[in-house]
Amino acid sequence: MMDNKTFIAAGIIVAILIGVIAVFMASGDPDGLESSALVVSGQKELTGLSPEDGDAEVVGTGDFAYESPMPDYSLGEEMGSTGGILAIIAGIIITLVVVIGATYAIRLKNEGSKS
Amino acid sequence: MHIPDAFIPLPQAVVYWIVALFFLALAVKWARSEINEDKIPLIAVLAAGIFALQSFNLPVSMGTSGHLVGGALAAIVLGSPFAAIFILTLVLIIQAFIFGDGGITTLGANIVNMGVIGGFVGYYTYQGLLKAVKNSYVSAAIAAWLACLIPALACAIEMALAGTFPLIPGIISMGVYHAIIGIIEGIVTAVVLYILAMARPDLMDVKTGVGTA
Repeated sequence: MMDNKTFIAAGIIVAILIGVIAVFMASGDPDGLESSALVVSGQKELTGLSPEDGDAEVVGTGDFAYESPMPDYSLGEEMGSTGGILAIIAGIIITLVVVIGATYAIRLKNEGSKS
Repeated sequence: MHIPDAFIPLPQAVVYWIVALFFLALAVKWARSEINEDKIPLIAVLAAGIFALQSFNLPVSMGTSGHLVGGALAAIVLGSPFAAIFILTLVLIIQAFIFGDGGITTLGANIVNMGVIGGFVGYYTYQGLLKAVKNSYVSAAIAAWLACLIPALACAIEMALAGTFPLIPGIISMGVYHAIIGIIEGIVTAVVLYILAMARPDLMDVKTGVGTA
């Protein structure tokens, strides 16, 4: 059985490996929801290939827009796959920090209410 | 199935937010009573792993890709649907605000679909099947498949309510694609469960039957 440190280290390494492989291997096809949007807007057959220049957002009606710092898990075209790897690693570290932080915050409050 | 901002009109998006916040409050309550110091490494690693898996778009043919959701996995490993809501909410917030994956106004709907519906479907299907088939890995795989498919169908209905997709074509299309994505989700969920049970059986909240399964 692994101790906590080994377990966390192994977990982070596995997560980073998955993320890095994803940068190179991930499919460029639209995801299930976007693909469905293409189907219902007549840009794609249910079982057919997705159009190169398909626009899934065409079915949307909302006009709220938000510019994220690392859209599509990348740092922009010019950074290429290096940017993708950095974005994924940043995401994994942010996730760890946020989850551990949130968990401790909840627990601290818990202990505070007990005393 | 991360819904972008444009897909749900604001008044409806608010309704999903209210539902999401209700379940999130219950999830925080769960975390407060159930998470102890020993569980934090498992929760952190699960969240990081789910984040990484969700960024991996696997080809599922028919011009479509899909990634895992991880709701069933979190709920099964930590023994509560609220664990899925807790972890998935944090992952979805990070994805929406930092990576533009899923909208901000639609974050509530995404939490409801993948966290709440995924977590409850995954957890209770697993519990039910475990009694029937007595094999935790088979139960987990089927539970994860359903925890991918049912949220996708819920999403299709939400899209119809929003006027974004017509109901029947939306259900068919979301159903077909996620029934395939769900197969991958099922296999990966069972494999991860096995690896976790090997590495840290003490942290698992479920009897996985490693060694007997």
